[in-house]
Amino acid sequence: MAEYNKSIPSPDPYVTQPFWDGAKEGKLMLPRCTTCNRAHWYPRILCPHCHSSNIEWFEASGEGFIHTYAVQNRAFGGWADETPYATAYIDLKEGDRMFTALRGVNAEDPTSIKIGARVKIEFEQASEDVFVPYWRVVD
Amino acid sequence: MPSNPSMSAAIVAAAESDKIGYIEEGTTALNLHIEAIRNVCAEAGVSPSEIDGVFSTNNSNLLAEYLGLHPKYIDTTAVGGCSFQMHVHHAMAAINAGIIDLAVVSHGEAGYSARKNKGNGTLRGGAGDPWLPAAQFGGGPYGNWGAPSNYAHALTRHMHQYGSTKEDFANIAVVTREWATLNPRAVMHSKETHPVGGPITVQDVLDSRMIVWPLNLLDICLVTDHGGAVLISSAEKARSFKTGPVWIAGAGENQSHQDMLEMDDYTATSALASSESAYRMAGMGPGDMEMAMIYDSFTVTAGITAEMLGLAPRGGGPSLWADGNASPGGKFPVNTNGGGLSFSHSGMYGMMLLIEAYRQLSGTAEDGVHGIAGKQTNAQSAVVNGTGGSLSVTGTLVLTADV
Repeated sequence: MAEYNKSIPSPDPYVTQPFWDGAKEGKLMLPRCTTCNRAHWYPRILCPHCHSSNIEWFEASGEGFIHTYAVQNRAFGGWADETPYATAYIDLKEGDRMFTALRGVNAEDPTSIKIGARVKIEFEQASEDVFVPYWRVVD
Repeated sequence: MPSNPSMSAAIVAAAESDKIGYIEEGTTALNLHIEAIRNVCAEAGVSPSEIDGVFSTNNSNLLAEYLGLHPKYIDTTAVGGCSFQMHVHHAMAAINAGIIDLAVVSHGEAGYSARKNKGNGTLRGGAGDPWLPAAQFGGGPYGNWGAPSNYAHALTRHMHQYGSTKEDFANIAVVTREWATLNPRAVMHSKETHPVGGPITVQDVLDSRMIVWPLNLLDICLVTDHGGAVLISSAEKARSFKTGPVWIAGAGENQSHQDMLEMDDYTATSALASSESAYRMAGMGPGDMEMAMIYDSFTVTAGITAEMLGLAPRGGGPSLWADGNASPGGKFPVNTNGGGLSFSHSGMYGMMLLIEAYRQLSGTAEDGVHGIAGKQTNAQSAVVNGTGGSLSVTGTLVLTADV
């Protein structure tokens, strides 16, 4: 495995572990409230829509759309080697939104990236246990 | 009217987290907070959505975001163990003032679990806890390094949604610089104060270094050293000082999110709600305002906020600065000190907005006596809006001159 030289997220074993377990298997796991039947992101012990505590995890499609983006021309640490690169908020097919660094785009030409473009999730192994989610433009 | 807050509020329910003591399976401070809030709401028979004031040590904005609340009063007083007594005091004052109806005072600390978790999940200061939602899923893992990295996403969305352009927003920086050329203490006053000070054009903004597309260097505020303070007096004593009063006609605050991950609409901020509160308190509206001091950490911040304050049409925020309207001599002066873009911005610019608004409305802009001609406006009222976080939290004041 190539050395992952960027900040590695630290899974919270009490709330977010199912997401990180899914990531290891290449699956996007999302929390969903069984009272109002709505998915939400980030993971919580209380539904942000109806404040129910009845939360379950399910395997999501891993598909979404670019909601908005920016191109980072300046960065620090491991990301400094990647500039320019695009970051984006992704509208999940199942609802709510994730943040990511985009793959499959030409960040040298910011206007070539399109809001609404279809994206799919992929995971990069960052450490033995942590696989970081990224989204790739598939249009 | 001020009134004695005695008996004006009461504690109506109290509850704890699901478990307390030595929680062997472990937990986090955030979970303890949320469980306690859920439980106290259940005991009181209210929905958390009814809470409009959030009081806690450091983390009130995260608690509000987590619960999907948009509180009208946010208090993070953190002075140690007695903080919660003080929160009750502050909440009573806010309720007595008619600002909020239902406050939650919340506490959560995983002192036992923190030891086995090597300090993770302790929620002591907000930032720095690797288990905070934003630390796992926000900008950090993807190299976002601060406000420019975040705010740029808002401008992209605004241009997409409303067909606005980089040129539209660049003009905000141009007009703001015009004001700076009238302010001898502005960093960008002239070539004497800074190598690239003095007047600029839209093309200069577009040609400046790209920092985070679509934000160029001149779309971004300065980073300076700055201190400031204001005095607030009771109405009775307000005219007993050597300096004259500027009246606080209205005040409001609100929050849409804490981390930009939870921002619903990237082209709107809670300044819509905070200004509604302030205008309502003042019995005035945007049409009654004669100038504005608008937080301009970035051109996009100012442009969007102009829409939220009712000073420009939705989607057309930058039009407030068009055609010389907001320029020196224009009919609606904006950011008359030269703004965070060209005057000074130390990191938290809100105090500078306040000082300039006081000077304009007291007729003492810059020279402390009658104001510098051209810079001193005739405005008798001002809307003053500050933005904090990642377009997260806003506070609006409506100020009026003493007549």
